[in-house]
Amino acid sequence: MVITGVLALLLAGCADEGWHGKNITGLMQELEFTLTDENGNTVTEEVFAGRPVAMYFGFTHCPDICPTTLARLAAASRRLPESVREDLQLAFVSVDPARDGPAQLGEYTGAFSDRMLGLTGTRKQLQALTRRYRITYGYDEPDANGDYEVSHSSAIFVFDAELEPRLMLLDSLEVPQMVEDLNRLLGSP
Amino acid sequence: MKLASAIVALVVLLAGALWWVGQVAPESPIEVGNARVRLVPGGGPMAGYMEIRNHSEDVIRLVGATSPAFGNVMIHRTIVSDGRARMEHQSDGVQILPGDSAVFKPRDLHLMLMQPRGALEVGDQVEIMLRFEGIAPAEWPVAFTVVPVTSQ
Ligand SMILES: [Cu+2]
Repeated sequence: MVITGVLALLLAGCADEGWHGKNITGLMQELEFTLTDENGNTVTEEVFAGRPVAMYFGFTHCPDICPTTLARLAAASRRLPESVREDLQLAFVSVDPARDGPAQLGEYTGAFSDRMLGLTGTRKQLQALTRRYRITYGYDEPDANGDYEVSHSSAIFVFDAELEPRLMLLDSLEVPQMVEDLNRLLGSP
Repeated sequence: MKLASAIVALVVLLAGALWWVGQVAPESPIEVGNARVRLVPGGGPMAGYMEIRNHSEDVIRLVGATSPAFGNVMIHRTIVSDGRARMEHQSDGVQILPGDSAVFKPRDLHLMLMQPRGALEVGDQVEIMLRFEGIAPAEWPVAFTVVPVTSQ
C-alpha cells in the first residue's frame, strides 16, 4: 500500500537561484499539526515557539538513510553561527507510529542532538501534516518476522520563524552545503 | 638404525615441505575491510558497512549473512528516486567480479541487522558470518566494530 503523489514536479520545477537545496518559498502552506512528542505530550506547531525548524520525516527502523541524513543535519546545525544555531530547532517526525513510541523516539533523537524533538501521531494526524507538504510514505507487507519496510520522503523541510516552508534540503547534500543554505536563510543579512 | 635415520630424515623433509607450503600459500581469495556496524539506539535495526575485495580469479557472490548478535540479517540497498527513499532487499545477493570490490556504505548497500539480541556499545566487536558462492570455504567470519550512529 503506497500513498502516491511524488515530488518530481516540484523537484524539476524550481530554478535553484544559488541554493543547494530547493527554494519552496510561497509554494506550500504554513506549518500546522497536532502530534505526540517524545515525552508523550500532545503538541502543535506552537511547540516551536516562533523559531525556525528543520523537519525530517522518517522512522527509527531505517538504519541507513535516516541516521545518515539526521547526522548531517545535526552536524550542519552545530556549524552555524551561534545566533542561528541557538534559534534553529530540529524535528524528526516518525511516520511509523506502530513501532515508534515516545520512549523509542526520545532515545533515537537524543543520539543526534539534544535540540532534536521526536514527534509522531496517529495515521490521521500524520496524514494531515504530510499532505500539506506533498510528503509521501508507504508501508510494505510485513515479512515472516513481522518486519516491514517504510518508504518515505528523503528531504529535510526548513520552516522560518513564521513557520512558512522555505527550503527543502535534499538528502544528497553534504554538511557544508546544508550550512550555507541554513545560514543564508536564517542568518542576519 | 638405518631405518630410524630414514624416518627422521623423512619427518624433517615433510616438516620442511609443510613450512614451505605455509610460506607461499596464496593470499586469501577475499579481503573484508572497514567492517563496521553503526549503532542505532532504541532496539531497532542497525546497518553494517564494509568493503569486500575479490582477489580470486572467480566471480563470487555474497548471498547472505548471519550474526549471533542479531536475529536476522539481510542484504539491502537504499534507493532514492523522485525524492523518496526505500530499501530494496537484494534477493540475488551481490556479485563481485575477479579483482573487483563491493562497497557497502551509507545511502547504498548495507547489511540490514535486525532484532539486536543485546545492548551494544561503541567500540564493541560484533561477529558477522558472511556467506558466499564461488569460493571455498563458503562462510567467512568477520569482526565488525561498532561505531557511533553519527558516523558517515
Ligand atoms: Cu535496510
